[in-house]
Amino acid sequence: MQPFTYVLPENLSQADAAARQPDTVLKGGGIDLVDRMKERLQTPARVVSLLPLRAELGGIAVEADGGVRLGALATLAELERHPALATPALAGLREAAASTASPQLRNRATVAGNLLQFTRCWYVRSEAFRCVHGGRGPTCLAVTGDNRYHAVMGYSDCVRVHPSNLAPPLLALDAEYTTVLEGKTRRRKLAELFPSDPRGQAPEHTLAAGEIVTALHVPPQPASARTSYAESREKQSFDWATTACAVRVVLDGGVIEAATVVLGAVAPVPLPRPAARLMLGQKPSAALFQKVADAAFTGALPLSQNGYKVTVGKAIVREALERATR
Amino acid sequence: MTAPAGPRDGVEITVGYRGLGGMPDRLEARAVEPAEGDAPPWDANTPLRQVGGDHDRVDGLAKASGRAKYTSDVNLPGLLQAAILRAPIARGKLVQLELDAARAMPGIAAVVALKNVGSRVRFVGDAIAAVAGADLHRVRDALAAIRADYEVEPHNVDWLRGEDAPLLDADGEIAEPWPEAVALEGALALAATTHGATYRTEVQTHSSLEPHGATARWQGEDLEVWSSTQATFGVRGELAQALKGRGLRVGAVTVHAEYVGGGFGSKFGAGVEGLACCLLAHAAKAPVKLMLDRFEEHTTAGNRPAALLQLRGGLDAEGRLIAWDVRSYGGCGFNVERGDGGGNVAVPDYYTRAAKTRRKHTDLPADTDPARAMRAPGHPQGWFGAELFLDELAHKAGIDPLELRLRNDSQTMRQDQWRFGAERFGWAAARARPNAPDARFRRGVGLASARWSQLGSAGRPPHGVQCRIHRDGSVEVRSGAQDIGTGLKTVLALIAAEELGIDPKLVQAFTGHTGDPSGPGSGGSTTTPSLSPAVRHAAFLARQQLAGFVATHLGADAAEIDCRDGTVGTRTQRLAWAEACKLIGPNPIDVRGQRFPNYGGKPFSASVCGCQFAEVEVDTWTGQVRVLRMLAVQDCGLVIAKKLAESQVLGAMLQGISFALHEQRIMDRQSGRMLNGDFLRYKILGSADVPELDCVLMTVHNGHSSTPAAGLGEPPAVAAPAAVATAVFHALGEPVRHLPITPDKVLAALARRA
Repeated sequence: MQPFTYVLPENLSQADAAARQPDTVLKGGGIDLVDRMKERLQTPARVVSLLPLRAELGGIAVEADGGVRLGALATLAELERHPALATPALAGLREAAASTASPQLRNRATVAGNLLQFTRCWYVRSEAFRCVHGGRGPTCLAVTGDNRYHAVMGYSDCVRVHPSNLAPPLLALDAEYTTVLEGKTRRRKLAELFPSDPRGQAPEHTLAAGEIVTALHVPPQPASARTSYAESREKQSFDWATTACAVRVVLDGGVIEAATVVLGAVAPVPLPRPAARLMLGQKPSAALFQKVADAAFTGALPLSQNGYKVTVGKAIVREALERATR
Repeated sequence: MTAPAGPRDGVEITVGYRGLGGMPDRLEARAVEPAEGDAPPWDANTPLRQVGGDHDRVDGLAKASGRAKYTSDVNLPGLLQAAILRAPIARGKLVQLELDAARAMPGIAAVVALKNVGSRVRFVGDAIAAVAGADLHRVRDALAAIRADYEVEPHNVDWLRGEDAPLLDADGEIAEPWPEAVALEGALALAATTHGATYRTEVQTHSSLEPHGATARWQGEDLEVWSSTQATFGVRGELAQALKGRGLRVGAVTVHAEYVGGGFGSKFGAGVEGLACCLLAHAAKAPVKLMLDRFEEHTTAGNRPAALLQLRGGLDAEGRLIAWDVRSYGGCGFNVERGDGGGNVAVPDYYTRAAKTRRKHTDLPADTDPARAMRAPGHPQGWFGAELFLDELAHKAGIDPLELRLRNDSQTMRQDQWRFGAERFGWAAARARPNAPDARFRRGVGLASARWSQLGSAGRPPHGVQCRIHRDGSVEVRSGAQDIGTGLKTVLALIAAEELGIDPKLVQAFTGHTGDPSGPGSGGSTTTPSLSPAVRHAAFLARQQLAGFVATHLGADAAEIDCRDGTVGTRTQRLAWAEACKLIGPNPIDVRGQRFPNYGGKPFSASVCGCQFAEVEVDTWTGQVRVLRMLAVQDCGLVIAKKLAESQVLGAMLQGISFALHEQRIMDRQSGRMLNGDFLRYKILGSADVPELDCVLMTVHNGHSSTPAAGLGEPPAVAAPAAVATAVFHALGEPVRHLPITPDKVLAALARRA
């Protein structure tokens, strides 16, 4: 095995300095990274654990403007039960956290780790395969291989899907993220965290080498905002979503004033869908939701084995919309 | 208790069973001939105090607390770790193997070749070489340093794409005509209702929680092995034979399998991993542990073969089956010897007694690792096809599926079970409840039968069990056979306690050490029915010796002495058990009981009967199926340890649901490699998916031995997948004929209906 140096920084500036060393990876809960290291899919020279910085980078708090700050190291279990999230406007975030993995993992898994996790593609995640992802090979093996769990839209030369449960609701809520790099703090829209052209060669996210996500920020929500999260899977216990959808709607006098629909697990990045606009000024109805669901999958180009995901995905959009407006 | 065995020609006993619920008793007198010296038979009128009671698993706490040491837990001073280099190609030849670089690496103690240059490589994962070293990291580095070159040949890992595979149409139906069968086709022509369809199941891997593997230690000429196995004596013989060249004789091999974390049919041999472990320990002159990892477990250590079966059949106007034609195919990996690749598909025969029938089976090869026997080999696959076929036939004929079974099931015991089960499950009401046409969630109920045949056997030479009674009042019973999690230790303890009239807590049971009397491999549900009479005999002999001491002490006749309620003595003079045992000398009472052959004549029932009912809910939006509740009614001969027997049934239902809804090996055609060789992508039922489970055990006295248990490991595994699949058919009004019933298949079925 390749020996690695394990760095336990005492403060953020130490972490910042350590993260910028060559061949270094950052570790939060370690759910994904440790697996990949054990399988020798990733063999970094240095691993910087952020867990000693829980005081700075953890926790959930209501900010002065009424928004909610999620520390990068806040666990999914905290998201499930924190009072700051106990509002209808943030229900989708709570539901997404609660449907992730298993209780044991949710006690350990972090918000940033969930957003930044590596794809679950079974070709990418095996040392036996050399595919286009990460430039390991010439082509995507899933396109001609077994692609039952792969992308149905938004892909180019790599059909992996983005596995994060938290990304769709956070995008639907127009969240922002803060990073630290070389002592500089930046705050950006969450959408910028994901590549706009998610090719196989490109990383799953847009962070610069050594850039540390420190927090997520959910902007204050109007009293009439509602979010929900729905996902399809093959079993109730620990399973990855085959399709996922987060929606945010703001209702005014029974009419939809604002609406966002974000799909997960169907494309290499979480996908906000312009179809949400069809709801503006409309009253919630099954027919309307069906129309939005159909439109959300406009342009879908399923692969040889995953056509079912389009059918299922539309149902999940409907379910998310019905729950958000119930 | 019945009278002690008299002359060889004659003990009259009561066999049969008491009716469940309002069902009738079916008891009858029968003369049996116990072997001379055997314990007298327990029959339907024998009052039993411990046997059949709700006792906990005797080693439950040890297992839950980690005190129980499995093979993977064994640690020895100086223990080395080991792993195997696996072929990355599915078919070809090994043309070069360079081990020296690995040998020279730091921390590496031994490297052995497991395949000679020039040998064929048969699947991705075929074992090439093995390495032992100080820790697994260094061992893996050394594996990476081994140079193995292959001559690669084109492969095919899809057994239904081979040249002998039947042609399938776009709907998955076999598109080739049936071979001629005049009588059968004559019957079909007369049928009021006919039906024909093709059914398919995927490869299920055993993947026991404890992986395959061993720890081996040589001491001079002697070899001591801890093996996760279903057959301690089989492993012992296999290793002695394989290592004969090193001067090893069977008696010098000790095999331990005191605790085994599951086997399901995949652990009968030492395996290449066990042999590699012994070779490495020999070469390294140090103890070595070699356990497979989860990927190896999925890809090299056993699987239930895939199946394809086509049925056609017909009912007469009264709903009786008059024609029944089955052809089946098994996909069982590279080692297919035509007709004996282990892929056979079994179908029920009790519905078709009055029908013209035909059966044909063919095993088909593929460049994948070989199938192994798995919990009721061939049965869950075949029962799924046959029972769903029957439901489709019943549907066409407008007959309720339960009614179809009642009209055709030739087994009286299952007739009783169907009626009792239907009542308890609320079949009629659940079956009649309609689903609203536009309902998102549709419910359905289904049912399926189970059958197995296992009344145990004597073994050749006979199996034995040792029983010792010590001066301190403690009792030990010992079998060299293994308890693979099914509860043999508890079975041994309860039967000995019953025979000795004492609290089971006084009995310690030991299993899985080849220094103890030999017993069967745990396959085919043999262990409990084979060893129950043997431990009974051992305790019976020990009791007679204790009676001798007590008789002398009391000045009574030994024949008047009995053991009950923790006392020993005559009707008038009794000693507490502890006092009686103080009469034993410094040597314990130490006897070996044996398993006598089953009594002559026909048992009350040679079949182990069962049936199961399931209710499912299907999300028509997402195609996801959830099982809401299940009921199993299951005969298992004499129930020895009720809680453990129920646990067998519940476990089989869960495994069956998992097979019906989730489990499948997914192969990458291009590389020949399994894509989901882990528990994240190889999906198994999880805790949140567990439905309400109900289990009713039936004690059936078959009158075949002194202690008439029947095998229970397999029977309940036969019905479960079929019960789920028939319930899905009821919910959707459209069958899903290909397991597992994943959302894509449900949605396709819904699309067909629409």
